[in-house]
Amino acid sequence: MPQFEAMGAQVVGVSADAPGTLGAFQKENNISKQILAADWPRREMLQKYDAMVTDEKSPVFRYAKRAYFILDKSGTVKYMKVMDNPTVILSADEVIKAIKDSGAA
Amino acid sequence: MRRTSGGIWAVVVVALLVVAGLAGPASALQVGEKAPDFTLTAPGGKQVKLADLLGKGPVVIYTFIQAFTPT
Repeated sequence: MPQFEAMGAQVVGVSADAPGTLGAFQKENNISKQILAADWPRREMLQKYDAMVTDEKSPVFRYAKRAYFILDKSGTVKYMKVMDNPTVILSADEVIKAIKDSGAA
Repeated sequence: MRRTSGGIWAVVVVALLVVAGLAGPASALQVGEKAPDFTLTAPGGKQVKLADLLGKGPVVIYTFIQAFTPT
């Protein structure tokens, strides 16, 4: 997206799917965004970021939560939002505002 | 004298509780901390590390529940 490119921002999406599944998903839906697979090893990245559903009773146990992490270019976390409701999505404008307000840019 | 040693024990117990409390939830990621490093696989098999994304500008990492749900 041009607004992100103008800030030099790197945007990546992560899910617990296998890379092949994500590849098919990306192709079928013409997704130009960079997406990455956190399925292996043991969904470790999602666990480290506290972005994996750990409630065994949940129908999406061990899947990714919907979460946003904004880092500055040195890798310090400037903003994070981990949501319990996966249907809530931040718009590009909201993410850009968060990048600016948090001082990540 | 008895009273004093009881007081010391109370301090020790409180200190242990504080340490136990800090050791628990402190593992969750927080604003101001360094983001944990990761190596993930892109579709097609390319490995992408957090370090590859840093240095150019801000990095936005978002997670989504599963393929075929909105990204």
